[in-house]
Amino acid sequence: MEYRNLTNNEIVNLVKQGCYCNDWSLIQVPDAFNTDNIHQARFEGKIKLGLLKNSPSGSSGIYSSFIKDCEIGDKVYISQVGKLEGYVIEEEVVIENVSSLTVEGETSFGNGIEVEVLNEGGGRELLLFDQLSAQIAYMMVTYRHEQKMIGQLEKLIQRYSDNISSSKGKIESGCRIRNVRTVKNVNFGPEVRVSGAQLLEEGSIVSCIEDPTIIGDGVIAKNFIIHSGSRVDSGVILDKCFVGQGVRIGKQFSAENSVFFANCEGFHGEAVSLFAGPYTVTHHKSSLLIAGMFSFFNAGSGTNQSNHMYKLGPVHQGILERGSKTGSFSYLLWPSRIGAFSVVMGKHSANFDTSDFPFSYITVEDGKSTLTPAMNLFTVGTKRDTEKWPNRDRREDPHKLDLIRFELFSPYIVGKMIRGSEILQTLYDHASKKQKYVKFKGISILRLLLKTCRKYYQIGLKKYLGEQLLDKLELGTFKNLTELRSYLKPNKSGLGDWVDLGGLLAPQEVIYQIVQDLKNERIKDIEQLQSRLKTVYNNYEIYAWSWYADLLERETGIQLEHITTEQIQELLMLWKVNSLKLNNMILKDAEKEFDQNSTIGYGVDGDEAINKADFSTVRGSYEENKFVQSLRAENEEIEKRANRLIELFENELV
Amino acid sequence: MEKSEVKARVVNVITSILEIEEALVTDEANFIFDLGADSMQSLQLVAGFEEEFDIEMDEDKALDVQTVGHAVDFIAEYL
Repeated sequence: MEYRNLTNNEIVNLVKQGCYCNDWSLIQVPDAFNTDNIHQARFEGKIKLGLLKNSPSGSSGIYSSFIKDCEIGDKVYISQVGKLEGYVIEEEVVIENVSSLTVEGETSFGNGIEVEVLNEGGGRELLLFDQLSAQIAYMMVTYRHEQKMIGQLEKLIQRYSDNISSSKGKIESGCRIRNVRTVKNVNFGPEVRVSGAQLLEEGSIVSCIEDPTIIGDGVIAKNFIIHSGSRVDSGVILDKCFVGQGVRIGKQFSAENSVFFANCEGFHGEAVSLFAGPYTVTHHKSSLLIAGMFSFFNAGSGTNQSNHMYKLGPVHQGILERGSKTGSFSYLLWPSRIGAFSVVMGKHSANFDTSDFPFSYITVEDGKSTLTPAMNLFTVGTKRDTEKWPNRDRREDPHKLDLIRFELFSPYIVGKMIRGSEILQTLYDHASKKQKYVKFKGISILRLLLKTCRKYYQIGLKKYLGEQLLDKLELGTFKNLTELRSYLKPNKSGLGDWVDLGGLLAPQEVIYQIVQDLKNERIKDIEQLQSRLKTVYNNYEIYAWSWYADLLERETGIQLEHITTEQIQELLMLWKVNSLKLNNMILKDAEKEFDQNSTIGYGVDGDEAINKADFSTVRGSYEENKFVQSLRAENEEIEKRANRLIELFENELV
Repeated sequence: MEKSEVKARVVNVITSILEIEEALVTDEANFIFDLGADSMQSLQLVAGFEEEFDIEMDEDKALDVQTVGHAVDFIAEYL
């Protein structure tokens, strides 16, 4: 757009309308500029003004405000702003009743800020930037043994941050900033809504038309990045924090040196040096998440951890792998590591590592921290959780930063189930029947349950062995056995151990290659790194199939390239039997939610009949429960799917 | 094995795992409501019966067993 100086007539009009400027020659305007909607404005420094005409979409103009060194786009509405300095303001922005909105000096708007995540004592510093994903953060925070890679990552992030650095801030199109006290050195993405915040300082609020970001009442945030589709409101206090896409933080939650990735929720409680991987949720007062890494996690009320024992300072850290939960007033002493999909109940004053045992209960028995492996495999909660997470992905931004795999029985988890089974067998072989407990990596296991828990893992493993094949068969087309074998033949990528890279399930060797390429500077910028990680995400099925094929051969001797129809039928039958068994065990667990104990406190002033009537009115019946019905329907579907394919291989494909 | 012997051994497992008086362990006693077994103890009972009788019970059917009498009958089927 071409700009010109104000004409004498325009200056006269502006002065008549109560405006003031000590040097009108520093103000530039477009040809079609009109002074009608500028009243009681004070200008200072270099100013560019757009076309401030009212339009059907709303009023525009500048009223009772002090503007210094700003570029103001078309159809912008600014009213009652004590000081607006150093911003480029795009079209259709509203800024109203704001004490101060300024950029002071050169700033990177929260990019490049160092945050002490996971270990409060330091040593795992993460650099914030507005393209940070859970995967990049995971690599930077946990792969500290790869110093060259860390140095290279820091260089890439620093270069990215330097490119953003400026003495001019941006308020992108469609933003609404209302009733805010102080804003200093903050960038605003498109369509951001800020209402009633107290203080925003050194940060970026990333947003998009598809998924606007909302900052609400009483928020105090310093040194931050808040991402698209997130809502931060109701008296939240943040310092040195990254808030990822689709996150909800509110109800006076406070956090420092913490990162929250996609779809996290934090209310009431407190976070310190927290690595909140995707879907980390804490809703209650008195819940503290400190110096820990979590994902797909739910914190019970009063959840707490200790990261120091008044010795060398807050140097300890802990990990709860994906899908874990803590019960009310559970306490963990760091360092500890909890295996995936586990439930922690009670107060634990021992340091332990249960990462080889997914789906465990960790309780206190006889005063000891006690592990019951595989028990959470057949509980209602696990089943419900795994179904709800994909449905609760709030992110609408077309550019999703975090790469999240939701599979329950992934190579990562199944690999752990196999390892857990082997350990249980070894412990069983070496235990005396006189022992009540055996000990493993700091935690006790009831000897009596070693064999039983191993059996539960085996049910899961058998289900997995059949299910992978069944899913693949249902997706493919093949006319004869030769075509089928060719279709099933895996490549050799994805073998070995897998990792959970902040929500991305991936073969360790593939991630290792990315680490090497970072070290050797073959990955040149953040965009290339994101692209490499996205390829890993997209190749999940290929890697997982190879891993499965390798496991199948190790467990059963079956090679997919030579598989027979009889072997296929056996695997399908294995899947059917074990899937039904597992679902039936989950149904039994669900039944407990409707048993005699569950009715305690219902029908408060009545007899047994009233107790039952009240319970069934409020809770419904087991038979009518939606979850129970869907699980039963799933059982019918299991029968149908297995039988259809077994029949196919019996009659047609021989 | 005689049913009376099965029952005696079942009672022995129950009293040892749940740490309760033998007198409470009647045929009709419900493991959860009468004997106070929680989820963990229910698993221990299954494991305890399997070890005592050297059997492997069907995992989901074993969870159907609710009373002491039912447990005796269920275990007897495996012997």
